[in-house]
Amino acid sequence: MRGFLAALLLTVGAIPASAQWVDFRTPGIPRKPDGKPDLTAPAPRGPDGKPDLTGVWNGPVPDTNFDPAIAPSWVNDVIRQRGQDYHRGRPLYQCLPNGPEADRFAGWKRLLQTPTAIAILNEDLTYRVIHMDGRELEANAAPSWMGYSVGRWDGDTLIVDSNGFNDKTWLSRYGQPHTEALRVRERYQRKDFGHLQVEVTFTDPKAYSKPWGFTAQMALAADTEMLESICERSSDQWIGSLSDAANAAPIVTQDMLARYVGVYNGMYLTNKRTIEVSLSGGQLVAKIIGAAAIDGGEIRPLVPRSQTLFEGLGIGYQFIVDDKGMATDLVEIHNSGRSRFPRQR
Amino acid sequence: MRLFLAALTLVVTTTPALAQWIDRKTPNIPRTADGKPNLTAPAPRGADGKPDLNGVWNGEAPQARPEVAELQPWVMDLARKHQQDYYKARPAYLCRPSGPEAEKFGGWKRILQTPTAIAILNDDLTYRVIHMDGRTLEANPAPNWAGYSVGRWEGDTLVVDSNGFNDKTWASRYGVVHTEALRVTERYRRSDFGHLQYEVTYTDPKAYTKPWSFKSDMRLGADTEMLEAICEKSSDEWAGTLSDASGTGVTVSPEKLKGYVGVYRGIYSGKERTYEVSLSGNALIAKILGDDVEGGLGAAGLDDGAPRPLMALSDTVFEGLGLGYQFIVDDKGVATHMIVVHISGPYKYARVK
Repeated sequence: MRGFLAALLLTVGAIPASAQWVDFRTPGIPRKPDGKPDLTAPAPRGPDGKPDLTGVWNGPVPDTNFDPAIAPSWVNDVIRQRGQDYHRGRPLYQCLPNGPEADRFAGWKRLLQTPTAIAILNEDLTYRVIHMDGRELEANAAPSWMGYSVGRWDGDTLIVDSNGFNDKTWLSRYGQPHTEALRVRERYQRKDFGHLQVEVTFTDPKAYSKPWGFTAQMALAADTEMLESICERSSDQWIGSLSDAANAAPIVTQDMLARYVGVYNGMYLTNKRTIEVSLSGGQLVAKIIGAAAIDGGEIRPLVPRSQTLFEGLGIGYQFIVDDKGMATDLVEIHNSGRSRFPRQR
Repeated sequence: MRLFLAALTLVVTTTPALAQWIDRKTPNIPRTADGKPNLTAPAPRGADGKPDLNGVWNGEAPQARPEVAELQPWVMDLARKHQQDYYKARPAYLCRPSGPEAEKFGGWKRILQTPTAIAILNDDLTYRVIHMDGRTLEANPAPNWAGYSVGRWEGDTLVVDSNGFNDKTWASRYGVVHTEALRVTERYRRSDFGHLQYEVTYTDPKAYTKPWSFKSDMRLGADTEMLEAICEKSSDEWAGTLSDASGTGVTVSPEKLKGYVGVYRGIYSGKERTYEVSLSGNALIAKILGDDVEGGLGAAGLDDGAPRPLMALSDTVFEGLGLGYQFIVDDKGVATHMIVVHISGPYKYARVK
């Protein structure tokens, strides 16, 4: 059980924090007759006529759709090993900056735009700067956690090119490594007052045979304020691995597993969440569906810890059963507490 | 020796980093006829006529020492305890944000100013935001590391009021704590293109008997760029205390100690530094002369004038508040050099008298 509990710490950094003031009225934003923020009003522009991205933004974790076929075997080995270790080496879990990681495009952030620089301020108190003063990328930038970024306007699209990353950061929480040769291109479009879209492309010929990326969507967080979410406890002391867990797993019969298959619906913090539990090759798997997904909806295998308690990538799943062994509820257990999801079907 | 080496890691984050690109010209700054940045040109102003603080700034860590009488006794007691523990609980040493700590006003930072908000970006990748959109301080803000700050212009002076600090940060690196009742007032004035003066006042009736403050200034980091300086190794694993160190000290004869008394001079991080080594009773004392005590490497804490005793670890190696001191002696046992050892490397100081 010690390994199990330790592993549950893994989700500390994955908790979508409701990290905002509740009752703050953002000054200077367009409002409807009823006083609510008009998020479909035109995007604001600065004195230079360029779109102004300044504001507090929030969005879900983007789905990276990573294709392992574009990675050589050493990269896929690294990804597999990191999964085995509950991703405890993830920079964020070690209280280190997450650099270009796809998950950085989710969550709360404040953008501050001046004609010569744009700062992106994250809720974990890290930040990055995009230089807008016309400078070029450095040919030989000193490797750093956040990289070296220069931006320019292409019509109403902000195009940001970055290099100079160290190789300690990941490209997503699932452990895709990169080398110092990484280049990142971002294309920002503020489509209207309340919506910001970012297309991100990773190019690293030393690790991937072709560029890959994703699109992130952010919504303006109006009438609220961003609060800090600081990593105070590194993952150094996590113990155990997935194979430890599998080796210690008790046997749960296929018949019992079949009684847990279903769709469970509930609230996680303030967000609706749906968990689909199914059988895949004799193993129970869980998939989180919907906008509140912490993981873009990928499958997590559930390793039994008892007949009703399972572990899936560091989250505990407890099935509440009736007297026939049929699950009525699924309880998700992690560091932020327990969330109960009644079975829908 | 384990204790000694562990203690040496104390200075990891106090190494003054030369963290910038060397030869990039900052665009759009006034220059003298020879092409050098004109740092005494008038301060720039934004479209709203207010002084524009945008830029990369750098300054010495300020000498911010409250008087003992300005601290409530429990705060002074805690400061002494932190000193005993090599200040290992200092948030920066734990790789945590420094919050309102006075020394955080030194070092490299970038200021980004818009009409509605000012961001101060530190080289350790932490930042803070000063709201300029006319809002007032929250009566009951959620306590956090960077606090909650609102700013306003008084003529050409930016006045910033902050509250909402948690009580995990320090007001000074010398272990001066504060409570959640802390209020900080800052006054910034860009007197010309290249200089930014500031004054900081700490008010915390639950910790201090009266407000205390310090003044310092920053210079524009022109024709250079700020680089990251990330804390990757926390002080969690530092071992030992000052009293441990004195308990395990070996005894060196007074005759030998006399051979080490003298003045030593060398270069530390590009600057000349002078140490005076003297005897007080049977204890060897090291003191950095002059006011270049950047990052407090030589300072023994709040009791700055107090002796900084060196515990003997062998006949020639001593430890003093987390630094190692090794004396190189001639064949008569008289020191010719002193080497100060810490994590950024050994520094050799030649004896000058």
